[in-house]
Amino acid sequence: MIKHHPKFELLQNFVNGDLPASLSAGIAIHADMCPQCQEKISQLTEQVAEASFEQNFLHKFVVDDEDMAEVAELEFDSIIDEITASDDIESVKIHNEGPSIEFKGSEYVLPKAIRNIELGKTAQIGKLSRARLQLDEGEIHTSLLHIDPGGSVPEHTHNGFELTLLLAGSFTDEQGEYVAGDFIMLDKRHQHHPVSEHGCLCYTVANDSLHFTQGINKLLNPIGSFIY
Amino acid sequence: MPSVQSKLPSHQAAVTPSNMTNKIDHPQLCQWLKLIAVNRDKQAFTAVFKFFAPKIKRIAQSKFNNEAQAAEVVQDTMSNVWRKSHLFDDSKGAATTWVYTIMRNVTFDMLRKVKANKEDNLSDDIWPLAESMNTEEETFTDHIQNRNLKGVIETLPENQQQVVKGFYFLEMSQEQLAEHLNLPLGTVKSRLRLALGKLKIKLGDHHD
Repeated sequence: MIKHHPKFELLQNFVNGDLPASLSAGIAIHADMCPQCQEKISQLTEQVAEASFEQNFLHKFVVDDEDMAEVAELEFDSIIDEITASDDIESVKIHNEGPSIEFKGSEYVLPKAIRNIELGKTAQIGKLSRARLQLDEGEIHTSLLHIDPGGSVPEHTHNGFELTLLLAGSFTDEQGEYVAGDFIMLDKRHQHHPVSEHGCLCYTVANDSLHFTQGINKLLNPIGSFIY
Repeated sequence: MPSVQSKLPSHQAAVTPSNMTNKIDHPQLCQWLKLIAVNRDKQAFTAVFKFFAPKIKRIAQSKFNNEAQAAEVVQDTMSNVWRKSHLFDDSKGAATTWVYTIMRNVTFDMLRKVKANKEDNLSDDIWPLAESMNTEEETFTDHIQNRNLKGVIETLPENQQQVVKGFYFLEMSQEQLAEHLNLPLGTVKSRLRLALGKLKIKLGDHHD
């Protein structure tokens, strides 16, 4: 059962369209797997829509400034003519199964939300494989991270935030076990060491490199930015 | 085809100050959207436009801080309303929610173009507008009448089915169908004629 969900504020920002594409896609993928969050999102969307289109603030526009309103009306008429000049309708796109990606012989169908995002080449270190999503969001990096059975990410903290959304398989860290659909948002207060006994595929978003904290792994810090 | 009662107000009614209340007239908005979908009704579109456009503009202005981009959001959003009205399903949510989704998606893609310089238009994958259209089955679940008709349509040869479904259920023009199916217009017309002949026999003459 999914135990980890996006916080309410995150859902709100998602509905408002205020999050970067990386996090928006993460929430969309989670919601596709989590009816509970899906329902919250529908309700929020309905409320925000209602509030956005309530009429009260228009009084000022229409009543106080009739000249302005008249100009606006003229402008609107020409836009209406332009739009309605063509009777074409948007044809319905029937989406088949999205594209898939292969890691070490296992094939995974990409979630709908990211099916049109370009993927970089897969890079590997030991039991970890990573393919970067080419979102071009500056310091925010988004990847698909695959951990082979028995693999782990060395103990680390994060300089910024780190979202791990488990797409398939499972892993455990100090907090317990995670299952597909779990939406795990960590920041620099957290320190963890994920281990995947049977292997897993994660969607990850981080806005800075990892910071490895233990023993020999400190030597890995230059590659922290490689993994996430 | 569901018949939609036309109760259009006079041209200005939707924007006169006397008509202003804080309550949104949801049934009215739904009806306008249906008129646009079924009849390509320009007057209904004008009413919808005058209801939403000023509000969209105001919201967009607060996001972009730029008059030209706000105008672009209005234009793109309303143009989507015109072209996608057949995808609106009032059993799935309010008209305001539907238009909001379009506006938010247009805004999101435009902001991404400005900020990340990417024209990848991801919004419709993140917030799908026409979830119910993903499978053909769900397209036809709304009206009992349609369901009966659908059973009969399915007895037609596959190539005639395509044309009939596109024309009647998705309200595509014959020209659009020809392009969509990559067929000569004449072929679309003759398939439609053949199919209608068969349907008339199967449904009896009172359906036309």
